[in-house]
Amino acid sequence: MERHYNHSSIHGSYRSRDSTSTTESDPREKIKDCLRKFIAFMFTQVGVGALVVCYAILGAASFMHIEKDSPDEQLENVHQWRQTCVEELWNITTKYNVLNHSAWMLNSNSVLKVFQNNITGAIHLGYNGRASEDIWSFPAALMYSLSVFTMIGYGNVVPKTVWGKIGTIAYACFGIPIYVLYFCNMGKVLAKTFKWLYITAHECSRRDDTLLEDGEIQPIKRKITVPSTACLWVISFYILTGTIMFGAWEKWNYLDSTYFCVISLCKIGFGDFVPGANIADSAEGSHLKLVINFIYVLLGMGLVAMCYNLMCEDVRVKVRELRQDLKNCLDDITLKITVCMNDTKYYHQKQTRNIK
Amino acid sequence: MPRRKRRLASRIRNYVRSLLAFLFSNVGVVVLVVAYTIAGAFMFQAIEGASEIERVNNMARERDSTAQYLWQNVTLTFNLFNETALKESINIELKSYQGKIVKAVRRGWDGGRSSRQWSFSSAFLYSLTVITTIGYGHLSPRTSWGKIMTVFYALLGMPLFLLYLSNVGELLASWFKCIYALVCLCRGCPGFSRRRVVHIRTIQYETSEAESIERPREWRECIDSDVTPDYRIPPYAPDPRRAYLRSVSMPQPYSPRCRPEVRGWSEPVHHDSPALSDFSYVTFDAQSITVPISVCVAFMVGYIMFGSMIFGLWEKWDQLDGAYFCFISLSSIGFGDFVPGERVYTPRIETSFIVCSLYLMLGMALVAMCFNLMQEQVIHYYAGLKRALRRICRCKR
Repeated sequence: MERHYNHSSIHGSYRSRDSTSTTESDPREKIKDCLRKFIAFMFTQVGVGALVVCYAILGAASFMHIEKDSPDEQLENVHQWRQTCVEELWNITTKYNVLNHSAWMLNSNSVLKVFQNNITGAIHLGYNGRASEDIWSFPAALMYSLSVFTMIGYGNVVPKTVWGKIGTIAYACFGIPIYVLYFCNMGKVLAKTFKWLYITAHECSRRDDTLLEDGEIQPIKRKITVPSTACLWVISFYILTGTIMFGAWEKWNYLDSTYFCVISLCKIGFGDFVPGANIADSAEGSHLKLVINFIYVLLGMGLVAMCYNLMCEDVRVKVRELRQDLKNCLDDITLKITVCMNDTKYYHQKQTRNIK
Repeated sequence: MPRRKRRLASRIRNYVRSLLAFLFSNVGVVVLVVAYTIAGAFMFQAIEGASEIERVNNMARERDSTAQYLWQNVTLTFNLFNETALKESINIELKSYQGKIVKAVRRGWDGGRSSRQWSFSSAFLYSLTVITTIGYGHLSPRTSWGKIMTVFYALLGMPLFLLYLSNVGELLASWFKCIYALVCLCRGCPGFSRRRVVHIRTIQYETSEAESIERPREWRECIDSDVTPDYRIPPYAPDPRRAYLRSVSMPQPYSPRCRPEVRGWSEPVHHDSPALSDFSYVTFDAQSITVPISVCVAFMVGYIMFGSMIFGLWEKWDQLDGAYFCFISLSSIGFGDFVPGERVYTPRIETSFIVCSLYLMLGMALVAMCFNLMQEQVIHYYAGLKRALRRICRCKR
């Protein structure tokens, strides 16, 4: 796949250069060449990354537009419930005097329980104590569109209107292929870069040994694959960075923020920990955090893709080696068994001969 | 003696190999995924179940303390005579209490309406959402051990589920292709046979498409039917074969074409062998045909509609919400704003969780199947496009 891609890209660039050199005067050829270059750029890493970011920004703007003026009846409802609760408490206070403590307690407790149940129901319907203008700020909408097309789906911000739901479905239909393209491209490029880095480091460290042993460059002959442990180290380092960063900002403990990073990068996205979703937090601070979280998740997805790419290769090589080893081992065992059997056979024959 | 020993060793090796093949075959993978999910359900239930009861008790204490505070600080300080001041202060106190409730519900308290949040079926759904990376988040681990185990469970479970998806998707794709081929044969649609014939021909002969377009229709069909089957038709009987194919391509809406082999048995003898060979030709061909993308998309839309109908009946959601839920689940986004068994607290909740998990497992496999088929089709289209482009370029230059 990779080789094919390389080949086609080289071929394409070669052809384009050729065509520009030969038919420079023809304007149609020039336009064609420009178009080709543009398409090639769009499908390169920069183009795909820009495409993803643009798509996310577009989605954020449209979702913000759709959801911002949705009437939130839950907010009204909660206000209503609180008013009735106050009214009832007042009634209780006038009915039972200040002197009757236990009866007052009993009645007010039941009133509070009704209030609590109402609010719990409202929260399950999506109430979280904020008006929709506060929820659908631009960074939050950006985070929402990211969580849609990367299939994370935190679920702390969800569309309430009919058009928001339909728009989400359509947005996901187009966004997921774009994201997959980004994932593949980014994985390939990062894997190549990482492999190159690894191999240069490997050679640098190995050169001294080979010079010491003998002049031959022995280990380069073997095809070098990046071991899985290196990938795991990279990923765990990235997660550690995220852990420290989010832990410092959100006042989470380290377990919680590690959990958040892993759940996000695995695309599970429970949404029980989301940066900037704290109700008590100020709006200004949360916006910056959301943008940084956006960048963190997008980069992390690329890293995961890289590791997936490298580990696939590594696992393939390992499986081949393992199969070879197993084959050798089985051959050895059968050989040994036959030899052993032959020995016993000789022994038996000798014994029978002796008896004779 | 050594031969028998060797035979025993090879037999053991065969057993091991077949066991491994079975484990990595479709049935084995399905069983493995289900067993892994069940094990996860038991584990999370054991870990999280204990802390849940504590949380419910906590909330009751919170309510008591609020009432106490209202009595102490509000009712006793403001007398009965000052109504507005009293209402004002009660309102403030209730607001803070409301904030506490919101926070508690966010942390997984559900109002004490269902007895146990971490029942077996909900824990099962939870483990399924972890390994499928849906992650509804209606249930999330609260204890630190639960979080650690979730991380490791996900790291181990996701590759397993990917294996399941690729295996079962491939299997379902081959089945779907067979069914598609058979159904199209049943209806005897001439477009299908022509497409198939054209497909085969483009693989076998590099004849240009423009040539075939220029021909008249009957002639083209006749030639097509003549050209393709010659590698399996015995050369001594071309004429009945051509007659048979022409009779197939003719519009006969009420002919019993559902079972070609049955029809072949009822026909006279010289029609028997072409009918049989035609059937075997189709079953052989079933894996090499490609299913058009529109069929895959229609199939997925149908599955989502089916799901929205089921969940609409079950959960009293309207049609849009059901379709939205199915789409969000099957694309593994999983917001968790709609989760079965979340709003309606009935004794059916257990079965609803199980139905949901079954729907998800099947649906994910179907999505993988559709991707499999669509990928094939796209590659096919791409190859055709490339050939056509090359031909056009050659024509021009």
